[in-house]
Amino acid sequence: MFTSPILDYSLLAPILIILAGALIGVGVEAFARKEQRAPLQLGIALVSVVASFVQLLRVRNVRSLKAAIDSVAFDGATVFMQGSILVLAFFALLLIADRGNFVAQASAIPGSQDEHSSIAEGKSQTEVFPLTLFAISGMMLFAAATDLITLFVALEVLSLPLYLMAGLSRRRRLLSQEAALKYFLLGAYSSAFFLFGGAFLYGYSGSLSLTGIATAIDVNSGNDVFLLIGIVFLMVGLLFKIGAVPFHSWTPDVYQGAPTPITGFMAACTKIAALGAMLRIFYVALSADVVMWRPIVTVISIITMLVGAIAALSQRDVKRTLAFSSIAHAGFLLTGIIALNQSGLKASLFYLVAYGFATIGAFAVVTLVRDSAGEVSDMNRWVGLGKKSPLIAGAFCLFLLSFGGIPLTSGFIAKFSIFTAAYESGNTTVVVFGVLTSAIALFFYLRVIVMLFFTEPKSDAVTVSVPSLKVKLVLAASVIVTIVLGVYPSLLLNSAQSFASFLR
Amino acid sequence: MFNMALHVGSTQRPEAVLFWVMAPMAVLAALGMLLVKKAVHSALLLAWVMITLAIFYIAEDALFLGIVQVVVYTGAVMMLFLFILMLVGVDSSDSLVENIKGQRPASILAALGLGGLLLSLIARAVTNVDAVGLTTANTAGNVQGIAQELFTRYVWAFEVVSALLITAALGAMVLAHSERKHTSQRQLSVDRFRQGSLAQTAGLPASGVYARHNAVDVPALLPDGSAAPTSISPTLQARGDIIESAPFELAPSVEEEN
Repeated sequence: MFTSPILDYSLLAPILIILAGALIGVGVEAFARKEQRAPLQLGIALVSVVASFVQLLRVRNVRSLKAAIDSVAFDGATVFMQGSILVLAFFALLLIADRGNFVAQASAIPGSQDEHSSIAEGKSQTEVFPLTLFAISGMMLFAAATDLITLFVALEVLSLPLYLMAGLSRRRRLLSQEAALKYFLLGAYSSAFFLFGGAFLYGYSGSLSLTGIATAIDVNSGNDVFLLIGIVFLMVGLLFKIGAVPFHSWTPDVYQGAPTPITGFMAACTKIAALGAMLRIFYVALSADVVMWRPIVTVISIITMLVGAIAALSQRDVKRTLAFSSIAHAGFLLTGIIALNQSGLKASLFYLVAYGFATIGAFAVVTLVRDSAGEVSDMNRWVGLGKKSPLIAGAFCLFLLSFGGIPLTSGFIAKFSIFTAAYESGNTTVVVFGVLTSAIALFFYLRVIVMLFFTEPKSDAVTVSVPSLKVKLVLAASVIVTIVLGVYPSLLLNSAQSFASFLR
Repeated sequence: MFNMALHVGSTQRPEAVLFWVMAPMAVLAALGMLLVKKAVHSALLLAWVMITLAIFYIAEDALFLGIVQVVVYTGAVMMLFLFILMLVGVDSSDSLVENIKGQRPASILAALGLGGLLLSLIARAVTNVDAVGLTTANTAGNVQGIAQELFTRYVWAFEVVSALLITAALGAMVLAHSERKHTSQRQLSVDRFRQGSLAQTAGLPASGVYARHNAVDVPALLPDGSAAPTSISPTLQARGDIIESAPFELAPSVEEEN
């Protein structure tokens, strides 16, 4: 009667190693002495990310739908996305470990005596590391899950730590706590939409697995109204996570309020995971029903690009600006789903990596621009930074140019290939809007560059602090990847090409 | 309408009676939950909605789900809700001030629109449709069926949920737990003697020693007649609630004149 389930542990190992690292981290929190915790936690986190990546490399050529009964697909896209999440998370962890971004004691009320004494005692909230590892494991699973239950569990596993960490900023703590609460409430709401949609898809197909839903659509067995409601509500949950309009309202507030390293981690890695899951759902489960959802996704993609690009123009805060830029990029990334062909998948994979590195680099720069009170994210005070510190400002400009899609940066190749894919599939409208909004966004990016380099600096106490070794590593990696992928894209495009496949 | 509800899941007569008695109450309670002003009433109505749902689950042969609904939601989660409400204060009610002008009518309109749309879509979809699969799912017994699914097909998801629980526990610790150093009375007195000067070893001077103003907001006088600012609570000082002490001070110059 009861047959014990067979799990393929070698294929699940990348996720399991990260989870094990997180558990050891929790143990360290309980048993290690205070001054040992921070270095131990960083070591454990980095080692588990590297070990997980090595294991992923060892099994990269295995293709299986039976990794965890029918819940996890181990295919090319899974390997590529899990790999890129791990690589980006490695650099995000370095950024997280850099000094002075996190609150000394989260439970102390902002501005209270408790807070002052906790800062004076040099406390730090080292729980951030296990929380980050939990988030990474959720992201890796979210990109690989093939049934709606596992997808939902992974969605929660990746979101919950992020909600928490968004509230742990060292400065402007009320803003940070507001951001965390906002993110949590809206996130819970969107998860409910996801579940609701999943229930309707189950009602339609009688199956929770993506392939089961695909079969039901093929034989057209079910009730179309259920299918429509299911797709729409499932989409709401997923679009919320990637920050597409009209589900974007949390993005600027949370990006601004969260500690900057967490914002970088969230922007780069969550986007890979959420878009990965979305690609899988639309390519595997719903591809037969493309006539129903393609118009919806097209409209959302166009609105997202427009709102992201235009709203970025009027922002005064660097982190908010980057948030709107990330919204615009969510719109560009959706064209990869609209394309619904192999080159669309390949372009999306490439785009995610290129965008992820530029984002982490950009947020690394944001952590460096400071005055006596801490990070300065007011754009007007960045004026003339290029004259004070040409190298850092130059790196920031490079990332902005990559966001804008200027040739010789990775962003150009990414945009070019994703628009080509959409064009090949015959969706010209979205391509036209994509190019137009890229031009609008570019205007804005150039304005920032002019401000940084061609305007006299104000006599202001804003300085670029000398980056620590960790931040230097992050910046160097981001700059190198952004340039190399721009000049010599076939390095990554070829592997994206060979990994761009979903098992059905 | 009546027929439609009867048709879903080919309902037998007693079940239909149950449905038509309980469902309106559940809907009314749910609406009431949104509309009542006091949080406690709202929580009690929510508990009622959950109990009704549990009864529906049990009536539809989902025995395990029904019991879990009662134990977990109505029992544990609702008690937690009430517990927190008691902590915050039973009498506190939500502020109903609109931050964005016209938000409430707009959101009510949108909610009605979405509700109407969903209702009409679902109503159209479920007319003349029989529910299937319940008997197959329950062949081995309701609990056994769930156990079978949970520990074979969905065992991976079931295991991963543990990560969620650990995250929740860790998060609660991060947000709420503070390591207070407990300093004993003995330690405090030792500290007082070791602070360099012996001026305050007997404690800070008490406030308010004037005939007209023996209040906490007036600083005490030191032996030499000058005011002692340390005698006033730092909170009052931060608020600026201090009475100017100059007129009461036994200033040396005044003494000389006399």
